[in-house]
Amino acid sequence: MSERIINNISKDYDEYLKDESRKTGKADSISFPVTEKEIADTMKFFWKENIKVTIQGARTGITAGAVPRGGHILNLERMNRITGLRYDNGSDSFFLCVQPGVLLTNIRKAVSARNFNTSGWSGESLEALEKMKASACCFFPPDATETTASIGGMVACNASGARSFHYGSTRNYIEGLSIVLSDGSGINMKRNMFRAKGDLFSLTTNNGRVIQGRIPGYHMPEVKNASGYYAEKNMDLIDLFIGSEGTLGIITEIELRLLKKPAYNWGCIFFFKREEHAVKFVRVLRDDSFLPTPLAVIRPVAIEFFNSDALELLRLQKKEGKGFSDIPDIKKEFNTAIYVEFDEDSEKDIVNSVFEAAGRAEYCGGNEEDSWVAATSQLMEYLKSFRHAVPEALNLLIDKRRKDKPGITKLGTDMAVPDEKLEEIIDMYKADLAVKGFESVMFGHIGNNHIHVNILPRDMEEYRKGKELYEKWAYKVLEAGGTVSAEHGIGKLKCDFLKIMYKEDGIGEMRAVRKAFDPRNILNQGNLAE
Amino acid sequence: MTEAKLDREANTIIREGVVSIINPYDIHAVEEGLRIRERKGGSVTALSMGIPCVVEMLKQVIAMGADNAVLLTDKAFAGADSLATAYTLSKAVEKLKEFDIIVCGKQTTDGDTAQVGPGLAEKLGVPHITNVVEIMELEDDYAECRRAVDKGWEIARVKLPAVITVEKDINTPRFPSIRGIRNMLKPNIAIWNADDINAEHDRIGMKGSPTQVVKTFIPQSKAAAETIMGTPVEQAKKMISIFDELHIKVRER
Amino acid sequence: MRIVNRISIVREKCIGCGVCKNKCPFGSIKIENKKAEIMDSCSLCRACANVCKFGAILVEGEDAAFNTSDRHEGIWVFAELKGGTVPRVVLELVTEAKKLASTLDTEVSAILPGYNVGQAAQTLIKFGVDRVYIVDHPALKNFSNDTYAKIIIDMVRSYKPDIFLFGATVCGRSLAPRISSALNTGLTADCTQLDIDPQKRILLQTRPAFGGELMATIICPHSKPQMATVRPGIFEAVQPLHINKGKIIRPEVCIPDSRIEILKCFEDAAEGFDITKAEIIVAAGRGMGHRENLLLVEELAAILGGVVGATRAIVDEGWIERCHQVGQSGSTVSPKLYIACGISGAIQHMVGLKSSSVIVAINKDADAPIMRIANYAFVGDAIEIIRALINEIKSLKQNQAEF
Repeated sequence: MSERIINNISKDYDEYLKDESRKTGKADSISFPVTEKEIADTMKFFWKENIKVTIQGARTGITAGAVPRGGHILNLERMNRITGLRYDNGSDSFFLCVQPGVLLTNIRKAVSARNFNTSGWSGESLEALEKMKASACCFFPPDATETTASIGGMVACNASGARSFHYGSTRNYIEGLSIVLSDGSGINMKRNMFRAKGDLFSLTTNNGRVIQGRIPGYHMPEVKNASGYYAEKNMDLIDLFIGSEGTLGIITEIELRLLKKPAYNWGCIFFFKREEHAVKFVRVLRDDSFLPTPLAVIRPVAIEFFNSDALELLRLQKKEGKGFSDIPDIKKEFNTAIYVEFDEDSEKDIVNSVFEAAGRAEYCGGNEEDSWVAATSQLMEYLKSFRHAVPEALNLLIDKRRKDKPGITKLGTDMAVPDEKLEEIIDMYKADLAVKGFESVMFGHIGNNHIHVNILPRDMEEYRKGKELYEKWAYKVLEAGGTVSAEHGIGKLKCDFLKIMYKEDGIGEMRAVRKAFDPRNILNQGNLAE
Repeated sequence: MTEAKLDREANTIIREGVVSIINPYDIHAVEEGLRIRERKGGSVTALSMGIPCVVEMLKQVIAMGADNAVLLTDKAFAGADSLATAYTLSKAVEKLKEFDIIVCGKQTTDGDTAQVGPGLAEKLGVPHITNVVEIMELEDDYAECRRAVDKGWEIARVKLPAVITVEKDINTPRFPSIRGIRNMLKPNIAIWNADDINAEHDRIGMKGSPTQVVKTFIPQSKAAAETIMGTPVEQAKKMISIFDELHIKVRER
Repeated sequence: MRIVNRISIVREKCIGCGVCKNKCPFGSIKIENKKAEIMDSCSLCRACANVCKFGAILVEGEDAAFNTSDRHEGIWVFAELKGGTVPRVVLELVTEAKKLASTLDTEVSAILPGYNVGQAAQTLIKFGVDRVYIVDHPALKNFSNDTYAKIIIDMVRSYKPDIFLFGATVCGRSLAPRISSALNTGLTADCTQLDIDPQKRILLQTRPAFGGELMATIICPHSKPQMATVRPGIFEAVQPLHINKGKIIRPEVCIPDSRIEILKCFEDAAEGFDITKAEIIVAAGRGMGHRENLLLVEELAAILGGVVGATRAIVDEGWIERCHQVGQSGSTVSPKLYIACGISGAIQHMVGLKSSSVIVAINKDADAPIMRIANYAFVGDAIEIIRALINEIKSLKQNQAEF
């Protein structure tokens, strides 16, 4: 067992001390298990030694959740196999069994090509695969922007993406989990198998250990949310693990629910000359009761926002010739862009959706000619490169600044508010940014009232002031009934915000749940709470 | 300018999943056609030869803003090599009568022969310029183009009418607008067969193609690949041992 | 010779085994109700007919339309000039043409239009060309496919060569299709291998198809000349033979007016840089993340005494000049060592590097296409690995210095 643990990790394993948050931690040892048994054995050893363990997937998180704080790193990147497929007659659905280290991009590729490495698959899985090949194409809906994220990491922080507006977060597509607890014991759970009774829960591990506790009593905000444990009376206990950021146990296998792929997937960008027109458009896209006359029903799967600074940044990067060559010129008079995406099964429905959206854009002060429409998968790829260009351009800019002032990082928010507070919160962001004179870029998932505000500090003073502003915003967002983290998770960087959100009491209740599963408190130290 | 016509080589074929896409170079050709129209007026016609479902791709071109499109489709066209394709397209262009510029994508991304554009120009008796990255000047009777050559650039002036083939660098294609999507739903696409264009039957399709594929084979693979995992330092050490095996000396910096 | 014009399924014989479906390079066969069906997208390539064990694929045809009764003889090579001198690709063509000529027991001629080409003609003769057809005229100083094509078309009509080879350069790829179109003969683009069928004495032209996933051997049996463009850098160029037996011929040619005027030529910034000559190439793709990380690749290339290669993607991104690009629209290279860093291996890139002796690929994705053609596939972050590699090499140096 101990030969699998690499004890001398000086310098050789530097990269494993950090993740996309660009924070660096420290560790004494690392292992790369390839089976569940190896994980269990490793955990038994560290449990006995009472040594902290940090779990890692693909290290694409940006809240430092995978950055170790001493002790051992349990890296799951080599558990990267798709292990089976199940077909359920009743629901006419396919379920894919994967190890936690499989990357999202590889799941997508394999599912869309219906082409899997089937070595070691059971007869039942192979049969399901034959069935799948004869059926309509499937897909796995969660669409984290970073497609090299590992599926284990996506479950651990309940990842979401643009299309979560319609499809919801990763949670909705998790049908089963195998978990190894910090003492090496295991739990296998399926959805609807274990439920809390009121706010009490009880689970028995494979070796007979009984875990009991109380579901936290805090009220989760009614917005897209990735802050703290999922908590609800009579909840399905599988949901406790999803989004728990590796603080309760180690995910060793996941069963994913796949959906039938809609026949048509179109996207359009509508440009507006005034931001308030764009925001109004978002409102009438979501809710036609704002319209004077009843109109066709539409179901956008994603609604995204790019403010004037975001568009200006793209124009600038294009002019400097640093790539972005796939992006057509953005007319000067365009101030704000709203991206809308539709999935439909018939051409008639998708065409109607797009026209209806165009009509609503005009109603809000837009012009249907100020639009880019992608009506093929080929054009959707180009449109995607537009959407990804903003964060890429931001990173380029910050990297340039970091050369002179290495202490600076991008300051990005991840907060969401309820629908009715959208305008109010945007106005607040804008007013505060104007007062401070910060350089900033706003974009993101406006459909969920979830806008990433990025402050681009020019010096350390601005960096410090920017952080202060964030804390102020956290209070305001919570007052408005929102969340401090809608999709990135809490990790190690946003624990203070979580404390503001759920107060000492809520954090205490979370700590109690954590203790029930991990009494020695050795897993993922520093995540969710100090 | 009265008319700018466009040509696309046959559609790209992807075997698994069967998603046909417009040859990426041709999208740039369409875009350049539209820009020529914006500069000088006239109309843009998209022309393609392929199987009936290529109509779907021509609809996309209409959505981008082409005025009309022609699809040449006939079982007799199947198996055409670049000569038969150039001949077939030339017959269609003759039927369309006048043109000022024919813009072609430099090549397809599957066949990659880059022969149809020049072959078509010869059949039509007009000059051609390949690898165009910029139309610098455009007058009624000539065009000045910057083109990419093996190690740099060249500026050439060509008498019109002419055929040009374009690189991707020439422009960034636009997205269709909502109006484009409306046009796409009632597209102005003509479907012509061999008789419609008065093509001689022994000059089209497989019969009109002097080249024949006699054999296909999977290229010889190299020595079985060795996969190297591990930490960056472990991997670096392995890499150095590979350099040693190849007797590559590392230099002082 | 028969030309295929219809392929169909004999339903009584078909058992629906699907072997033909898998073999079809165009995805044009489907199996329905346990019978194969040929769809409209069929390209009549006959790949299916060759694999069907049940005789269920019926290939129908008729007599070929091309029949050349005239006698054609000799191998021609188009001698394109670069700055008034003979570039390497022409010498590669000459060398290959000589091999083919010895099988056919015929002569190799070079077609040399230009201005003041005497020196170039001598070079060609030194390399063993039997005849050099010179058209020397001030109007031909700059290459123009318009005039060059007209002159050469006339010459082919009068001298009737059997085989005509061009370099697959920008000039060659622009000129050759014009000529073949005028002559109504076949032209095979970008050949990587040429042979003679000993029985039929025709040219077997092999080229990558489907971006290199498949190789296709192509013939042009009924029309002459058999024309091909040949990828630069694939064939060897021999040393001068100094036989000097070649003859210079100056055909009577009328020089037409060109409808194309070359106004200006200029070279890329990286002057004199020629990636095709490099023995070691360290190439970068989009997987390197940022333009800044190219510095690492440059450093590694410098340490190894090599040069930097690039994918089309990063050239398009403006990270590096076009002359560094390897692949379909860039250069074909054949170095001793090719290190692909953060390159997933688009087919268009891979065709350019395949003749490298040793390919090392560094990529996060173990399943990336480049990993399948690499001799050594390093799974990991290219940036981290190169950084570690540079450090290792530096510390090795230091240790050596200490001893």
